[in-house]
Amino acid sequence: MNQAAHLRVERIAVRYGRIDALHPISFDAAPGSLTLVLGPNGAGKTTLVKALAGAVPLRAGRVLLGGGDISWVPAHRRVRRGIALVPEGRGRLPGLSVRDNLVLGWHAAARDRRASRGDDLAAALDLFPALKQRLDQDCSTLSGGEMQMLAIARALLAKPVVLLLDEPSLGLAPLAVARVYEALAKLVAGGLSMVLVEQKAVPLRSSQESTIVLQNGRVVFQESRRPTSEELAALYLGERAA
Amino acid sequence: MGGTARRRLEAAILAVIVVGVAIVPLTHSRLLLYNFTITPIYAMVVISLNIVLGTAGQVSFAQTTFMAIGGYGSALLTTRLGFNPWLALAASAVLALATAEIIGRPLLRLRGHYLAMATFALALGTNSFVTAATPLTNGSIGISGVPALAIGGLSFDDPVNFYALCWIMCALAMAVYALLVRSHIGRAWRALATGQDIAATLGIDVTHYKVLAFAIGAVIASLAGSLYVEYTSFVGPDLYDIGIVLNILLMLFIGGRGSHVGPVIGAALLTLAPQLLAGLERYQNLVFFIFLLLLILIWPAGLFGRVRDSGPLETMLPAWMRRRRREAGP
Repeated sequence: MNQAAHLRVERIAVRYGRIDALHPISFDAAPGSLTLVLGPNGAGKTTLVKALAGAVPLRAGRVLLGGGDISWVPAHRRVRRGIALVPEGRGRLPGLSVRDNLVLGWHAAARDRRASRGDDLAAALDLFPALKQRLDQDCSTLSGGEMQMLAIARALLAKPVVLLLDEPSLGLAPLAVARVYEALAKLVAGGLSMVLVEQKAVPLRSSQESTIVLQNGRVVFQESRRPTSEELAALYLGERAA
Repeated sequence: MGGTARRRLEAAILAVIVVGVAIVPLTHSRLLLYNFTITPIYAMVVISLNIVLGTAGQVSFAQTTFMAIGGYGSALLTTRLGFNPWLALAASAVLALATAEIIGRPLLRLRGHYLAMATFALALGTNSFVTAATPLTNGSIGISGVPALAIGGLSFDDPVNFYALCWIMCALAMAVYALLVRSHIGRAWRALATGQDIAATLGIDVTHYKVLAFAIGAVIASLAGSLYVEYTSFVGPDLYDIGIVLNILLMLFIGGRGSHVGPVIGAALLTLAPQLLAGLERYQNLVFFIFLLLLILIWPAGLFGRVRDSGPLETMLPAWMRRRRREAGP
């Protein structure tokens, strides 16, 4: 498979001032793989995806994409390399229409990877038809579920090889969560490598998947299987008692 | 009011402006002609602020700094070095562009209040500098006798010609603004205005686009600064004092951030306000500020700004009045 899309994370750590937000963490994400990152609030999940997206600087370690070191590549250029982030809170940009959002995503893609603007937008809207009637509306008028779909569509238009998603189900109604995960399942099946942050177990499955559980910035579980709900409860509560 | 309705309103206002600009010289009123020559000049400065603040969302007080570069640049280059006024105008604009590039990079790494404070210091510093640097700027006395612009035999010494020139330059600035906001640059500016971190993860080089807004704004403000000085043939520190800094900000907030015609309307209203309210004598300022307060309460986004900023008027009523209104309803 396409080796250029292989994400390798080597002992990366992040520090905010004097606080270690993320202790050294390593993992590999091959094309078509799903890396699930679980953990309670403040565990360092958002910090991890931000570090991969280049939004926070690394204190130690390296991020390699297709064998090339991108640790020092700034956020806006990592997108062109193929790492797209669907940020926590759905990345709302009030004042911009749905179409503006999608076009921004399209502009972020590397030229050799994208098709014409019309074709790429049409493909994104096929995946999220609910956005079709909303194209000229201000994105701040969208419902939570629609905004999440827009954030994912926007990130996909950047033609990523690795898609980072930060709690896409947060604050969404169960039906909207189901719709979002339906779309994500199609993307994983399509060979996109995905790093998915959530607080709870998710319905999404992949043949190549691994799960990382973070607690207070440390890896407390890292295996190719999912933790059972009892294990997860113990992991979440265990550290708190200690 | 949706996007289409807003565009229609702006087009209608634009038509009113065009008709107004055509009528003013026919009145042969020198005062009116003076006011409506100053209006497009300030409108250009407001357009430049509309790019930086109204579109890219960077709170900057530095527009008077770039006006001063244009004004003093034109005055010094023509009176001391004998430059052609057009060349002086262009050279000053290039200097403003270079200054914006150099100071913009470190300055625009700051956000929100910090950027506002830093640019405020820049505006105050500019005023102090031109007052103190007597050998260069003649201090608070200023420089007079700045020669007028001319094209071949057409002299802009004539007030009506200069009036036309200022409106042409203002129309060009409006066109530049309209083209920019519709392009990818404008989309990137609007994105970084509301979510800088999100913009970065969408491939937008945030610093680059901020400096771009700052630099384009600097050139427009410098051109306006040069025009003003060419018009009055005089430059002095008072043209760039704190009152002017605030006036420019008020013009934008009254006219409406992110609007096409707002800067012109804001500049016209503030330029004409002293005459419109002259009959009120010592209550002039009081009435003006009451009007301003009401305007900001009712239209927080300005007359032609985006409506989404304003909340319903009802929320301004005290709680007991709101309750009564609800009971009265169906």
